[in-house]
Amino acid sequence: MLTYILRRVAATIPVMGLVALFVFSLLYIAPGDPAAIIAGDQATTQQIAHIRATLGLDKPFVIRFADWLWQVLHGNLGTSIFTNLPVLKMIEQRAPTTISLMVITLVMSIAIAVPMGVLAAWKAGTWVDRLIMVMAVMGFSVPVFVVGYLLAYTFALKLPWFPVQGYEPLSHGVWPWLRSLILPSLTLGGIYIALIARITRATMLEVLSQDYIRTARAKGVGRRAILYVHALKNAAVPIVTIIGIGFAALIGGAVVTESVFALPGVGRLTVDAILQRDYPVIQGVVLIFSFVYVLVNLVVDLLYTLFDPRIRY
Amino acid sequence: MWLKRRTFLGASAATTAATLAAPAVAQAASVLKFIPQSDVTVLDPLWTTAYVTRNHAFLVFDTLYGMDANFNPAPQMVEGHVVENGGRQWTLKLRPGLKWHDGEKVLARDCVASIRRWGARDAFGGTLMHVADEIVAVDDNTIRFRLKRPFPLLPAALGKVPSNMCPMMPERLAKTDPFKQVTEMVGSGPFRWNAKERVVGSIAVYEKFQGYEPRGGVASGTAGPKVAHYDRVEWHIIPDAATKTAALQSGEVDWWENPPSDNAMVLKADKNLVTRIIDPTGLIGSMRLNQLVPPFDNPAVRRVVLDAVYQKDYAVAIGGTDPAMWHVPVGVFPPGTPYASDLGLKRFTEKKDFAQFKPRLEKAGYKGEKVVLLLPTDIEVLKAEGEVSADMFRRMGFNVQVDASDWGTVVERRASMKPIGQGGWSVFSTFWAGLDQLSPAWHVFLRGQGKAGGQPGWPSSPKIEALRQEWLAAPDEKAQKALAVKLQEQAFVDVPYIPLGQVFWETSYKKSITGVLGPIPIFWNVRPA
Repeated sequence: MLTYILRRVAATIPVMGLVALFVFSLLYIAPGDPAAIIAGDQATTQQIAHIRATLGLDKPFVIRFADWLWQVLHGNLGTSIFTNLPVLKMIEQRAPTTISLMVITLVMSIAIAVPMGVLAAWKAGTWVDRLIMVMAVMGFSVPVFVVGYLLAYTFALKLPWFPVQGYEPLSHGVWPWLRSLILPSLTLGGIYIALIARITRATMLEVLSQDYIRTARAKGVGRRAILYVHALKNAAVPIVTIIGIGFAALIGGAVVTESVFALPGVGRLTVDAILQRDYPVIQGVVLIFSFVYVLVNLVVDLLYTLFDPRIRY
Repeated sequence: MWLKRRTFLGASAATTAATLAAPAVAQAASVLKFIPQSDVTVLDPLWTTAYVTRNHAFLVFDTLYGMDANFNPAPQMVEGHVVENGGRQWTLKLRPGLKWHDGEKVLARDCVASIRRWGARDAFGGTLMHVADEIVAVDDNTIRFRLKRPFPLLPAALGKVPSNMCPMMPERLAKTDPFKQVTEMVGSGPFRWNAKERVVGSIAVYEKFQGYEPRGGVASGTAGPKVAHYDRVEWHIIPDAATKTAALQSGEVDWWENPPSDNAMVLKADKNLVTRIIDPTGLIGSMRLNQLVPPFDNPAVRRVVLDAVYQKDYAVAIGGTDPAMWHVPVGVFPPGTPYASDLGLKRFTEKKDFAQFKPRLEKAGYKGEKVVLLLPTDIEVLKAEGEVSADMFRRMGFNVQVDASDWGTVVERRASMKPIGQGGWSVFSTFWAGLDQLSPAWHVFLRGQGKAGGQPGWPSSPKIEALRQEWLAAPDEKAQKALAVKLQEQAFVDVPYIPLGQVFWETSYKKSITGVLGPIPIFWNVRPA
């Protein structure tokens, strides 16, 4: 198992290298000039050219890529063109918000979606099943920002229970931290809940029709034990897979949610950097996101062994 | 504008006395929460002309002169000045008690280095540097300018509010290459930058500088006493307009710099808020025609376009249907400001018969060349402006190609001098603060230096340049006004750009605060109501 983990971690290196090359190339050929954005609307072309040269943006692709890669290999993601701050520091400043948002969303989504899916499968064909599936379709269909605005309007503006915007760090207390993340997590969790609930239902329906479930029922095993001990454990592999795949959707959704609720997270950092063409920040963030995504997939693969002892690495 | 020695020294003596008499204002941990137009990603006001950076700079950095609400320069860091040798020598005396945020005393040599750095980046500053034979620190408190010729606009240059303002910083920072960003924020303004609490894209924090000694008098624009009534000013960066509206309505923030017109309507209906115009010069739309490539290399074609512009179309598209939120017609200077003139403006309000433009274009020499219009889609006002222009060009009979992209791409592409077939462009429009067009001294659109000017479009007009030089040397306001009229007249002949109308923006704040000045967001003088 340890060898497998080490092999998988080592395999991330070429993946990251390819991601780095791809992102760098994409930004190189994409239109837009950070020097022109920095200089402002009133700057002359000479001033823009001067800034471009100062920032080294006039150097050839190979030299710029080599410079950046060399820095990355030394653990330095570079410096923001605009703020002059180290990219790593900017990500460090933003990471707690995004991690908090994702963790709460993940926990909340699994806690809501899995029982919903199980219940829908158990009550398949009844109004309970249909209601749950309608809710799941709505979760998919209503855009994240619409959910965000509706929640903020209702529970922050009309009923002032939660803040409209902003993030309170955990160091300010558990309740203020949680309070600032409840609406964003509900917003972000909508699609995720829908996705997990549907997969859980589908997988559970398949498992519940298996012979061993019928046997368990015949032996008089209780409903709860059948669902959560016998069936759910065997349905877990596809559910865990979809949780892993959905993580990418979560990253994408975080960008919108962080913008709607003005959360200073990595998602917003990415959007701001893209709009400004802050190349080092974009490259740094994409690299980190890729690494996290690869790690999540590794964790998912390892979880398979927990739910299905037949799987061995 | 000629400033008399005794007037200034007299005024400065009075203001010093008033400063001494001014009560110290201190309130316990009071915080003013503000939503700026965007994040202040660049901190150095000379590294960019972005308005948000300029607004940030006025908190942190003081200026030698301020600009009052009537756009006149007034002493700020200087106690007064003496003009000698027929206007060729200016001696500026710093007022006592000025300190940098690191506790060091403000010295004349710091200011000299700051002026030099500013002069390397700002167009008006460059003009001053060109005229100056020598700028020296005579002693710790005295700055002397020795000039090639009289330059009565010296206080106006050092006190200008439009970007780039002239920020004073310690010599060690002011000696930074003007094309490299200064990121250590040490100024001598009424607020100090709190770098520790800064989170890019989220919050910027300014703390009251206890060592600041405001001058006396009445606060007006960036002139007069800069009394900080709040211990902290927090800039909260909120990207979404609906969230900003909700944050202001729920009381989570105190002040939103520039709500878009849709949101401003909602905020105006809120009895707990004040929503009003603080900048009478507003924003002025401007269309740039690329004079390096056909068809707009032909002045006759440009003049036909000038005649086809119906400013109200632009004003309504951007400012909405409420006429209080826009003004037409607009010439090359903002309406209601000292140099504004009605000369030639009738064309902008006459209803257009577009059928007449096609033969006029042909007569002017238009041969059906492709006109590439750069249309930014991510900034709502610029998108609306571009769409109105595209419609106008089509109706005139131009062969129009609209290239839509984000603003970042437009900014890059408009710098291209290449022909149309190689990625070049023909026309783009933008909106600038009226303040930027207040004076021929810093009116970047009203230039005709061609390629040397470095402004996209590269307008060439030796006559405009000559008139500008005359204006800079004009002995009094009467002569300046007469030359400003001539500048407008010439601008409608050479067409370096086309004004598209004036739109006003509003600011919105809680009724629990008062003392909000203009024409830009100013944080001194603001206090609990």
